[in-house]
Amino acid sequence: MSRDLNMKVNVLPVYTYNFLKVNDSTIDAEDINIDSLVGPEVKELPDGVSLRSGISFDEAGEIFRANKEKILFTTGVPGDPNGDTSFRDEEQAVRTGMGIDVDKLFIEAGAKADIYTVDEGKKVEKPVILRFDMENGKGMLASQVIHARKDSEVTVIMDYSSQDKEAAGFLGVSTRILAEEGARVNLVKTQLLGNQYIHFDDIGGACFENGAIRLITLELGALKAWNGCYINLVGKQSDFTSDTGYYCAGEDNLDINFVADHRGKKTNALMQFKGVLMGNAQKTLRFTIDFKNGSSGSVGDEQEDTLLLSEDVVNRTMPIILCQEEDVDGRHGATIGQLGEDVLFYMQTRGIDEEEAKRIMIKARLDSVARLIPDEELKQRVQYFIQNIA
Amino acid sequence: MSDQYLLQVKDLSVSIDNELPILNKINLDIKPGETHVLMGPNGAGKSTLGYTLMGNPHYNVTEGNIIFEGLDITEASADKRAKAGMFLSFQNPYEVPGISLSSFIRNAYHAQTGAPVKLLAFQKSLKAAMEILSMDESYADRDLNVGFSGGEKKKAEILQLLMLNPKFAILDETDSGLDVDAVRTVSKGIEEYQKKKDGALLIITHSTKILESLHVDYTHVLVKGNIVHTGDGSLVDEINANGFERFI
Amino acid sequence: MSDNKQVVADIDRSLYDFKDVETEAEFYRMEEGLTEETVLKVSEEKNDPEWMRDFRLKCLKLYEEIKMPNWGPSIEGLDMDRISSYVRHKSDMKGKWEDVPEDIKNTFEKLGIPQAERESLAGVGAQYDSELVYHNVKDEVAAQGVIYTDLESALHGEYADMIKEHFMKLVPPTDHKFAALHGAVWSGGSFVYVPKGVKVDIPLQSYFRLNAAGAGQFEHTLIIVDEGADLHFIEGCSAPKYNVANLHAGCVELFVGKGARLRYSTIENWSKNMYNLNTKRAVVEEGGIMEWVSGSFGSHTSYLYPMTILKGNNSKMEFTGITFAGKGQNLDTGAKVVHIGEGTSSSISTKSISKDGGIGTYRSSVTIQKTAKKAKASVSCDSLMLDSISRADTIPAMDIRTNDADVGHEAKIGRISDDAIFYLMSRGISEEDARAMIVSGFANPVSKELPLEYAVEMNNLIKLEMSGH
Repeated sequence: MSRDLNMKVNVLPVYTYNFLKVNDSTIDAEDINIDSLVGPEVKELPDGVSLRSGISFDEAGEIFRANKEKILFTTGVPGDPNGDTSFRDEEQAVRTGMGIDVDKLFIEAGAKADIYTVDEGKKVEKPVILRFDMENGKGMLASQVIHARKDSEVTVIMDYSSQDKEAAGFLGVSTRILAEEGARVNLVKTQLLGNQYIHFDDIGGACFENGAIRLITLELGALKAWNGCYINLVGKQSDFTSDTGYYCAGEDNLDINFVADHRGKKTNALMQFKGVLMGNAQKTLRFTIDFKNGSSGSVGDEQEDTLLLSEDVVNRTMPIILCQEEDVDGRHGATIGQLGEDVLFYMQTRGIDEEEAKRIMIKARLDSVARLIPDEELKQRVQYFIQNIA
Repeated sequence: MSDQYLLQVKDLSVSIDNELPILNKINLDIKPGETHVLMGPNGAGKSTLGYTLMGNPHYNVTEGNIIFEGLDITEASADKRAKAGMFLSFQNPYEVPGISLSSFIRNAYHAQTGAPVKLLAFQKSLKAAMEILSMDESYADRDLNVGFSGGEKKKAEILQLLMLNPKFAILDETDSGLDVDAVRTVSKGIEEYQKKKDGALLIITHSTKILESLHVDYTHVLVKGNIVHTGDGSLVDEINANGFERFI
Repeated sequence: MSDNKQVVADIDRSLYDFKDVETEAEFYRMEEGLTEETVLKVSEEKNDPEWMRDFRLKCLKLYEEIKMPNWGPSIEGLDMDRISSYVRHKSDMKGKWEDVPEDIKNTFEKLGIPQAERESLAGVGAQYDSELVYHNVKDEVAAQGVIYTDLESALHGEYADMIKEHFMKLVPPTDHKFAALHGAVWSGGSFVYVPKGVKVDIPLQSYFRLNAAGAGQFEHTLIIVDEGADLHFIEGCSAPKYNVANLHAGCVELFVGKGARLRYSTIENWSKNMYNLNTKRAVVEEGGIMEWVSGSFGSHTSYLYPMTILKGNNSKMEFTGITFAGKGQNLDTGAKVVHIGEGTSSSISTKSISKDGGIGTYRSSVTIQKTAKKAKASVSCDSLMLDSISRADTIPAMDIRTNDADVGHEAKIGRISDDAIFYLMSRGISEEDARAMIVSGFANPVSKELPLEYAVEMNNLIKLEMSGH
């Protein structure tokens, strides 16, 4: 292949100063090792959900292409460096946070997708659970399409973990979601991979009128991780809510790109990130609220709370708000720094020393996301993992 | 005999950012089991004294000493003071999302005693203490102070007082912003603490509501950073009737 | 309210838009385009010392090598082959208004500059196209040892070494394409030196007027505020509107000494055919304070992000900015700060208004290096959308490399609430006035940082923009 084998991912929706080196991120070709092209089998398929396995990545995007007019239209002028850049990934069936290079990797590698379709009107109570037991030395690409038909609801849990805490390997996942009118998809992803793992997780989704995507993510393991999520809020009153918790220590590197693309009226997005950086860890967080023309009455909120616990960490944050609509409410807030003096003092007055106070605050931050996990068994396992982090 | 005192404050002067002193040569002696009340108009420096006794790094001690159980703790950090047996109930306690009230108390208890916490016994005594304070049990599992009303926050502070059982507790404006019922409940909690025969209290207040049902040994009046008068419990009633005028 | 009404009626775009015809007999104009030959001609015109001529040629090479930025507003409409980089009146700079050529004097009279000098300024420099035409500093200020002169004279005088030591050291020509362009063809601008401990009580001002069509203005401002000194410098800019693109690629380098303070205020009101690609940068030594007040109203396209390097321990920076993007404008503005010293603090507060299809972008970066222990940084940016054909983007970045820093960031975007308008209207105020009042209120944190005359000018500009002309 003549093209650059490295993947260019997590591209900012609008570029900014090059000296910051945040306009995109690179996954080195040598980090990508694949020996399996299918994800794990679902243990138990709940009533109301049907599964088609082994579909090519491209073909699995059919449901999005069938709704192309709805999902991919763009407003604004493409071309300007600062113009509407969402056309950039137009070849994708649905735009994703990490972008077109992930699609290319899956297609060129011949990876297969599993399509989960939820029956119209069916509120599926039992979650679909996908357990990724990632042993030392494994390399996997896995792709899913979650298609929730009108007025249905489903919860999908993806649990990536390694028995061996020191395990190395590669896991790349692409999840594409369509929440039709009134449908709701709850997606939970917990990453407890071995601390030498390379991991990426790419999400692209679209919500029709009153459709909703609820995302809960915990990035606790792995050495290098990329997270991307692009939600197209195309229908009126569609909703995207996400909570992400992360923990990076040692030489960990975490790179995130989240976009809420508001195009329908009265759409709502809330993205919250809570995390801890220790050791020599590096984290880059890009999050964008994009109010396109026509998204009147929409609300977008992005919040970050990062605890820095070592003097050698690198924390980069790009909280972007793009706006082409008058009647919207967009806000962003970030608190970045070490443990605050006032909270430390409060803890100390109760006899808790500084080190213990830090441990409590790390756990508190991660646990506030972990407790949202709807599956009791997984929740306890994640909480146990958190208890043993610090 | 200085070793009979639990807390001794000697010529204590305090300032913030090297500005003019907020407290000026404060002297205070508290014996085990005594209840002291610190009163004074707004801005007199009452909360500053509470924070300084507990070791808030924001306040600089420019002069004097704080002696607790015969040891000079003037330079000790707040957690060391807490481990030594001191406690401060905050006017505006900090909100900590992600950690529940009960697990916070358990953490603090463990930090102070170093002993493993027996879960069943702990839950039993927590439940009993919450009953005294008429706190709904669900608060135990709610995040520490997050979304608590003013009254609930104060109760959660008193709950920690009862659970941690310090030798000496400073209660900073524990009654402010509470309705009559809540004041009654909080003071019931304080009475419960007083029942412990040598637990000492310094109650900081600018009103007298909370003192009605409590036994008070000494009352100090703080005006513009100086203790201008010290009397017995009856001074509370006098101030209640006449205000601070004659001390200013 | 009646006072405000009066002001609305009084102002008129012609205040800035009037143009004087520049005749061949009176003006020397360099041919359009940029070649080694034109650069050498500028150098010759200016009687450069040798090092400066070589520097210009080096910059020209860099300009040809460096790519256009891949971010920010489009600058496709700017064709360097159609821009004359040097235009000057065939007379020398004057020290008295009476001696300034009649046509130029008229222009500055209309802009109110001589009057402002008499009333409230310590010194004035006035640049017309590529050259300063007038420069004067009040005797009592000169007596304190304050130097305020045009940069060209300074290059040949007593301060020549100081200039050589500082010129384009803070903004190197490698910084970006237009910094290189500036280095190649810079002309005009001011040099200010405030000696140790000297506090200048009233502001100095430079006024830049680009009157020629299809021309570029590349003035260079170099200010050195020595230890413990204090200065307020004001910069004003305007130009009449032409149908061809004009270019402003000035450069401002500010050196704030130990314990010194510099306030740099700008009200930029270039005409709406101007490409304003201006670079401003300050370095602050221990305990020094840099304050920026920046109002961007004019120009077709702007790239403007004054940068502060907090090098010394406990140095401080405050940036207060407002941008009003109206019809046909794409204004990309903000600020950059780099914390290096311990205990440094920065505060960026901006307001942005977009109306009638204008695009306003707030762009910033806050970098906290590992050495900047106990650094504090706060950013707050508010955007106001006045209709749904406009655009308001917020593109901030933070790069934090120490845990011992305290960084807060807040951004809000929204519109004028109907309730607020209703409340004002219920007290008898017309809807248009209510909107103007709310927008003025929104801009108030900036206007209150300006000297009174400028605050009035800014409010007038807002009212002018709000009334839709």
